[in-house]
Parts: sequence; C-alpha cells; structure tokens
Amino acid sequence: MNNNVIQGTNLAKIYNKGGGGEVGAVQNVSVEIRRGEYAAIMGASGSGKSTLMNILGCLDKPTSGSLKLDGIEVSTLTDEELARVRNKKIGFVFQSFNLLARTNALENVELPLIYSDKTDISRLARHALESVGLADRVHHNPSELSGGQQQRVAIARALVTDPEIIFADEPTGNLDSKSSLEIMALFQQLNEKGRTIVLVTHEPDIAQHARRIIQIADGRIVSDEVNPNPRVAEQEMSALLPKEVAHENR
Amino acid sequence: MNIARSIRISRKQLAAHKLRTALALTGIVIGVSAVIIMVAIGNGAQQEVLSKIEAMGTDLLIVNAGQVQKSAGRQQIRGTVTTLALADVEAIARECSAVKVAAPVQSKKIQVKYGNLSTNTTVVGTTTEFQEVRNFRIAAGAFFTDDENLASRRAAVLGQSVVNNLFEGRNPIGETIRVGRVPFEIIGVMESKGVDLNGADQDDQIFIPIRTALRRVFNVSYIGAINIRATNTQAMRQAVAQVSELLRDRHRLNKQQKPDDFTIQNQADLLVAQRETTNTFTMLIGSIASISLLVGGIGILAIMLIAIRERTNEIGLRMAVGASRKDIMTQFVIEASILGVGGGLVGIFLGVLGAVVVRFGTSWAVTISPNSVALAFGFSLLVGLFFGVYPARRASLLDPIEALRSE
Ligand SMILES: Nc1ncnc2c1ncn2[C@@H]1O[C@H](COP(=O)(O)OP(=O)(O)OP(=O)(O)O)[C@@H](O)[C@H]1O
Ligand SMILES: [Mg+2]
Repeated sequence: MNNNVIQGTNLAKIYNKGGGGEVGAVQNVSVEIRRGEYAAIMGASGSGKSTLMNILGCLDKPTSGSLKLDGIEVSTLTDEELARVRNKKIGFVFQSFNLLARTNALENVELPLIYSDKTDISRLARHALESVGLADRVHHNPSELSGGQQQRVAIARALVTDPEIIFADEPTGNLDSKSSLEIMALFQQLNEKGRTIVLVTHEPDIAQHARRIIQIADGRIVSDEVNPNPRVAEQEMSALLPKEVAHENR
Repeated sequence: MNIARSIRISRKQLAAHKLRTALALTGIVIGVSAVIIMVAIGNGAQQEVLSKIEAMGTDLLIVNAGQVQKSAGRQQIRGTVTTLALADVEAIARECSAVKVAAPVQSKKIQVKYGNLSTNTTVVGTTTEFQEVRNFRIAAGAFFTDDENLASRRAAVLGQSVVNNLFEGRNPIGETIRVGRVPFEIIGVMESKGVDLNGADQDDQIFIPIRTALRRVFNVSYIGAINIRATNTQAMRQAVAQVSELLRDRHRLNKQQKPDDFTIQNQADLLVAQRETTNTFTMLIGSIASISLLVGGIGILAIMLIAIRERTNEIGLRMAVGASRKDIMTQFVIEASILGVGGGLVGIFLGVLGAVVVRFGTSWAVTISPNSVALAFGFSLLVGLFFGVYPARRASLLDPIEALRSE
C-alpha cells in the first residue's frame, strides 16, 4: 500500500508567450501528498498555485516531470484515461462553485456519478449532501441557496465519488468570513475522518487551517512546513457567536 | 455514461432554453411539413389523373387520322388526313379478334340553337357502339340505334352542359334544336362525365348518328378517329398490332412503303407515361421541400454553436468531474438529434394538418403518402445528427481549464 496519494517529481509547466518568450508557471516542482494529509498551497497571485493544482489534479498535463497518483504514473495517460482517473480518484472544489443553474442540489451532486459506473446515484448523492449538512436542501436550485450553501453543495459533489483526494482552489474566495469559517470547519471535519485535502489560497488566515503549508513563488516551492498549531474553525465560529448574539440582543 | 442518462440530461437542457429550442426546431418543422404537404398535393394530382385514365378504361385504343403531335402536353393532329373511313371501322370490328367494339368519331365545334338561345358545342358524329367503348351512359331518353344511323335520322343526344345552356333545367326530350342549319330532334340526355384529361368538359357535347353527321352537318366522307375497346387489357398489344396491320393494308401503305397515315393512342401507355410525369413532378417538389429541411439543419447548427459557447463553463466542469471527450460529444450529438426528432414529429403533425386543410380549403385532391412522412422524419433525424456532430466535436475538444475559467 502506497502512502503517497500524490508524488510529483520535477514538474514544470511552460507557456509560450506571444513573441517567442516563455512563462514558467510551474518550474521544477517536486512534491508529495500523503494519505490523510491536509495541505495548503499558498502564494501570491500569479505565483502558479492553480497551475500546480490542476497538474496534480490531472486536469492539466505538465510540460515535463513525472506525476504518480496512488503509485500509478499518470503523466503519460491519454485524455480518456485522465478523465477516468479524475472521475474515480479526484474531487474538485472551485472558487465560483460551478454549479449547474436550473438544476437542483441533488442533481448537481449526482453529476460525477453520471460518468461513473455506479448505479445507486441518487442514494449516494443524498448521502453526500447529508454529510455536508444539507439534507434539507436537496431539491433547492443554486439560485435558492446562499453562497456558503452553494459551496457545500460543490463539496458534496467532490465527495460523492469517495475520491482519494480533494483539491479546493480558493474555495472561500467568494464567501464572507462566516461562511468561509463554515467551509473551513467542514474541511477539517472531513480531514479528521481521513480525507486527503489540498487547499489552494492566497489568504494566510485561510491557509492556517491546514496542517501543512506549502509556499510557492514564481512557480517554485519556497517553503514546505508542518503547521504546528492549525487554527480550529469550530472554535473561531463560537468566538464569533457571542458578538453576534450581543449584536442581535441590542 | 449510459444513453438513457444522456438523453435525460439533454432533454433537461433543451427544456431549460425553451425559446432557443423552439427557434432551432422551426426550420426542421417547416421543412418536414413542407415535404409532407407538397408530396401530398403531388400525389393527389397524380391519382386524379390516373383515375381519369382508368375511368376511360385501360383497354381503350384511339385511332386518329394522321400523325398526332404533342405540343405543350396536349395532342394535336397536324393538317387534315382524309383516308380514315367508316368502312375501316366496320372492317376492324369484323376482322380484328382482339377488338371488342369500335366506334367512329367525327367531331367539330359548331353553333347549336334552340329557340333564341345558342351555344357553341362539340358535335360528335358516332354510332351506338360509342356508349360501350367510352363508358358513356344515357340518363334520360335513348341513344340512337344502328337503324337510325343507317337511315341518317336527324336525332341528337345531349350532354348535361348543353342541356343546362339551352334548356335551363327543362326537359329537352322531344324538342328540336338546330345544329348549324340542320334541325335535329332530341331523343336523349347523357349522364354527366365531368372534365377529361385535357380539362375539356365532356358534358359539353352532343351526339348525332355518324352518317347524318357526315352527310348533313360536316359534308365530308372521311372520319377523324376510331375509338376501340380491346377484348381485355392483356389483349391491348395484340389489338394495336391487328388494327395497325389492317389499316395499313386497307390504305395500301405497305406496297408503297409509306408511313402510317394514322396514329394509335393506347390508354395503357398513356397511363404509364402520365405516372412517370407525375412521379417526376412529385419528386421535384419533394426535393425542393427537402431543401428547407437542410436550411432547418443549419438552424440546428447555429443554435448548437451558441449553446456550446454559452455552456463552455458547464462543459469544463463536466470534464473536471470525469466526463471524457466522448461523453461530451455524445451528449451534444444526442441534443441535436432530439432537436431533429422533435422537429420531425411537430413537422409531421403540422404537415398532416396542413394537407387536410388544403384538401378542404381547395378543390384539389390531396393524398398524404406514408412514404413521404417516413422519409421526411428520417431525413430530419439525419439532419439533426449531421449538423450536431460539428458543434459536438468542438465542445468535446475544449480544454477543460480554459473552459472552466470562462464565464
Ligand atoms: N493558459 C495560459 N497561458 C499563458 N500563461 C498562463 C496560462 N495560464 C496561466 N498562465 C500564467 O501562469 C502563471 C501562474 O498562473 P496561475 O493561474 O497558476 O496563478 P495563481 O497562483 O493561481 O494566481 P491567482 O491567485 O491569481 O489565482 C501566471 O503568470 C499566468 O499568467
Ligand atoms: Mg488561481
């Protein structure tokens, strides 16, 4: 049994700019993510966080380097094979939720299962929605849900195939601080149950919830450290609570 | 991804964009219904023509004096040929085994008067056999007999239109009319026959004995045509050969190696020719209508391209959660096919409805052809598929990251 969900070696992504110049969005990155880890990839805007995440998530192909997922080399797979891998082993959460409009929460969560060989789609999707605390919002359309709720539907969609790893690219970027904490609490809860999570963010406060922080700048890893005292989102929320109660009582 | 699921997703997408879906359907709907209505009208016209020919009998031969020429779809005899005689008719009836009955015909448009009313009508000199050869039946009174013909009696049988023109509904039997200057006693009225193939009113005729006609009215000794009924439809070829041989012999054409001085028109051949003409016509209007189906396909193409541009983000998401390029392709091809099939079904409904409206709104015979319905439907499905493939392929080739980034 391989302990590394992800093992990237000398990964690079080079874009050709107009005029012959090249942009090294990711340069010579070697990184491994162990099973059960909760890692944050941090860096300034344009530092290559999303590009790296897309490569690790098999959504993008590296220009060079090797990537093993669950011990299997994936950098040489075809588009069809990569689609299979994404479907089975990877869950994505995006900044703008990317839910299908005019489609209720249940059907949004069912989406990845449509492309799998699973049969009890509806039951699995309901179960995933329950696990993010939205059992009572199953038949709501995205337009009838708050931002935080929409992001939780998206997380349910990422969880529904029971993937090896979840990648979240700025999942709190479109949320207010309270909803952001809710999402962070949800991730911590999932991680405590053993889910491997990679969180991409440029906000230090958000990154502090992870147990490992990888800093990147100009496409290179500049530091990779264990976070000795991760913030606990549940606690931060209860710290918010008295203020709100006080506010409401006034 | 299974097909049933793809169809469900596609249906939802189409239902979510009702106006756009309706627009995409319009072209196909118009195309399919146009094909159905056009072909129905063409078929109706064909059957009307054919039933007219069949009503005359497919065992009918018409021998015309001289060479018959076709011009603008109508038959015309060039010049006057004086070689066809009453004796020829008698010889044909006597000697040709494949001939059942033969009747001479000499006719001309002449002014006919009754009191101070007059009408220009076709005066047909013939014999009593004419009734049997041409399926004409007497409605009141009697047709003239052989004896009356031999006696050159001045007896006339009127068609319904002539009765209407000269007698305005009163009973004409026993009255006297003038054909040219010659007085005739009316002894009978024919049943109505309607218009013939060339659109001529077959009721606007009067019939008089051929001998009386030649001697007193036309003042000639030859006849213009012989109407012949063969013993049965199978005996047609034989009858044509026998009649042709006999006439050439009687007219001494063989010895002098001259061409025929008569033309034999065969109803069976006419039937085949007419069927071919109307088939060509139906095909022609059918294919013109199919062009609108093609235009409908381009409508689907345009709408699908717009849909794909608008749904780029969705396509990216589907790819991110594990849809393969093939899955995306399948989904959009299915969507286009649903548009094709849906348009086809609505088109069939409107086409059939339109054909029924045309039938009751005009005097045209309209016959809906199941073949044209099946063809139009199949074609619309194909058009949907064909014009769906290109947009679907474009969708499937999108880069997932760029697609996800688009908003
Ligand atoms: N398709 C592309 N073509 C050319 N350059 C690209 C492309 N995609 C990304 N880049 C470049 O690669 C670099 C890294 O981009 P990336 O999106 O990974 O940054 P990021 O760290 O996620 O930034 P942000 O925090 O703003 O999302 C940027 O300089 C960007 O301009
Ligand atoms: Mg980014």
